[in-house]
Amino acid sequence: MKKEVLAMILAGGKGSRLGKLTQNIAKPAVPFGGRYRIIDFTLSNCINSNISNVGVVTQYEPLVLNSHLGNGDSWGLDGINSDLTVLQPFSANDGSKWFEGTAHAIFQNMDYIDRMDPEYVLILSGDHIYTMDYEKMLEEHKEKKASLTVSVIEVPMDEASRFGIMNTDKNNRVIEFEEKPENPKNNLASMGIYIFNWAYLREFMLTTHQKDGEMLDFGKHVIPSYINSGERVYAYRFAGYWKDVGTVESLWQANMEFIDPENELNIRDRNWRITTRHRVSPPQFLTETAQVDESLVSSGCYVSGNVNHSIISTDAQIREGAQVTDSVIMSGARVGKNAIVYRAIIGENAVVGDNAVVEGKEEVAVVGNSEVIGVCNDED
Amino acid sequence: MKTNKTCAIIADIKKMDTLLPLTNRRPVSLLPFDGIYRMIDFNLSNVIDADIHSIYMIFNQGMTQSVIDHINGGKEWNLNSLPNRYFMHFFQGLKERNPEEDHYYDSVIEYIQKSDSEFTVFMGNKMLCNLDLSQVRNVHKMHREDITVVYKKMPQEKIAPEDIILDISDNGKVKGITSAQNAIVENEVDNLFMNICIVKSDWLIQELTKWRQNEDIATIEDVLKDAIKTKTTWAFEYTGYLSNIFDIKSYYDANMEMLDSSKFLSLLHSSKKIYMKNINEVPTYYAKTSRVNGSQVAAGCLVYGNVEHSLLSTGTIVKENATISDSIVMAKSTIKKDAVVKYAILDKNVVIEEGVSVIGTPENPIVIKKNAHIVEDMIQMEEQVDESLILHSGV
Repeated sequence: MKKEVLAMILAGGKGSRLGKLTQNIAKPAVPFGGRYRIIDFTLSNCINSNISNVGVVTQYEPLVLNSHLGNGDSWGLDGINSDLTVLQPFSANDGSKWFEGTAHAIFQNMDYIDRMDPEYVLILSGDHIYTMDYEKMLEEHKEKKASLTVSVIEVPMDEASRFGIMNTDKNNRVIEFEEKPENPKNNLASMGIYIFNWAYLREFMLTTHQKDGEMLDFGKHVIPSYINSGERVYAYRFAGYWKDVGTVESLWQANMEFIDPENELNIRDRNWRITTRHRVSPPQFLTETAQVDESLVSSGCYVSGNVNHSIISTDAQIREGAQVTDSVIMSGARVGKNAIVYRAIIGENAVVGDNAVVEGKEEVAVVGNSEVIGVCNDED
Repeated sequence: MKTNKTCAIIADIKKMDTLLPLTNRRPVSLLPFDGIYRMIDFNLSNVIDADIHSIYMIFNQGMTQSVIDHINGGKEWNLNSLPNRYFMHFFQGLKERNPEEDHYYDSVIEYIQKSDSEFTVFMGNKMLCNLDLSQVRNVHKMHREDITVVYKKMPQEKIAPEDIILDISDNGKVKGITSAQNAIVENEVDNLFMNICIVKSDWLIQELTKWRQNEDIATIEDVLKDAIKTKTTWAFEYTGYLSNIFDIKSYYDANMEMLDSSKFLSLLHSSKKIYMKNINEVPTYYAKTSRVNGSQVAAGCLVYGNVEHSLLSTGTIVKENATISDSIVMAKSTIKKDAVVKYAILDKNVVIEEGVSVIGTPENPIVIKKNAHIVEDMIQMEEQVDESLILHSGV
């Protein structure tokens, strides 16, 4: 059956600016907010926007990501008219199909997209924290009779030079695109979310690939080429919470903002639920000695120490006398007795031993996944 | 018939008026437990972990909604794949039954026949345990008899009058059974029959077919009870944690015992997991104004007030300066500012208004009905519950 929209989530990036946290795990699979992984936000947005066919392009360290995605059943993507397909690089008659850029990843997976036969392809990245109704964007795309719609968000002017900036006319038609301009003309930043008319993009990629094969990246190559050739490229203005969590600092920052129940993401909205893989964990236990303030605590946690303005993820343990402040403790991690964790991210299943100190100063401190600092006496 | 292939029957048709109003609209095994579980999760998990791929569940008719809402497709207990199946039977009381068709026996017999199993496990509805059924099956196979029953040595105060006490010989054979109300009072501990047994499927089909001829209707439970008296029966002693829930007090105590970390760890943090429904809730938020100690809290709560020695279920909201102590709060309840809840069980979706006190006693915890909106103080003294107050407090 012909699909109206197919979402393609680009989840193959290494995310090297996350250091230890992405050592053996793809960035979209990095834990977030106590029980989620980053890609859950994009996937949940798809479901909530009535998009039920999703391809996830993976490449770098896909093990955790793949097992998290499974067959998509956690998001209801395993039904009769819904589907989640994990797309990994493969070898073929005409050589290995590794992905050398965002557009190249789509080009290499053309067979898959053809099979799904969509009218529109929605390109998403799996490493942003936001809630967004893609259906609204699609409606605008249709209204404008656009060939390509790029979702944009206003960023502070002094940060604009870090982004791809769209210069538009009064109808939001994009007349110029500048990748990380030194002197930005405005502050409309591309969010890396695109809607393409598939038939045209397909032809475009085939032709340009035969000519020069240089169309590797959407931002650098495809969008400028579309604009130059006079295609109808429009900007869709998004207003709301949107965070690129590509660095340790921004990941930490987004987690800290996530604690606040008034956060713009509004994760308690029953009409826009963020869904993740079901994990079997007992209720959280706060003992007699526990003291927890301004924090999020997930299922399976055992807290007998002090927790202040922090996120304690699924099955983590905070032992007696420990002091956790302004930090993210990822799932399964243990903080030993009288240990101090301040301004830090403690990776999954990591151990901060008894009396150990992990303190972030200017920079946020990071303990990698399964890393062990000191010794944690295990009596329970 | 495949060797070792086992099917399971979970029967929840014994109504317990002593658990009202909690069991008004839900069967006993669908009672919430420890914030995120339903009692049936324990038996379902026991069955699944013993590599049993087929379950037959029996409930009373009229309880359909809560049962189907919980079990749904059976995915969380791995009951939704081609090799793994569950079946549900809704039992009709004598009055509603059409005498022309003896649906109950026919469908049970048909189930066991079709399951093509060597053994059948039977489990009741009110005992919570984390039991390795494959061990019971091994013991059963070793003895090559028709029935093996599971029991635990329990103190008398934790046994209900209608429970069954086993008289067990030194070598582990059951010599006889007595109803707990007739048992000798001097014993400090008794061998409590956990209403769990394993039998040969062929034998059970034969027995049920025999009983089918009778005029009056007995349940499988009755058939098995009768067989324990008359056939050679071996006993398997369970030494793990057990909760026997038969009235409000025992329900309250069993939940509160989960705040004892050794019992909590033994039941819920053992290597054998207890699977529960996927509620997909956000992590719980504790505000600066909150103070929570010695408590268990499910996901999706917002806590601004004080919680002490209590269990909060999914989506509970505790507003500023409210105090909950020694209480069980079921899902989606809201306790507003300055309210006080002590020695209480709040069923689902209860609202306690600002400044209102709901106070019971340790021996007689006060129960607030599902969906009730409490706007004035309800203080329960010792002695009997004032039924009218509880049953009509709803809006």
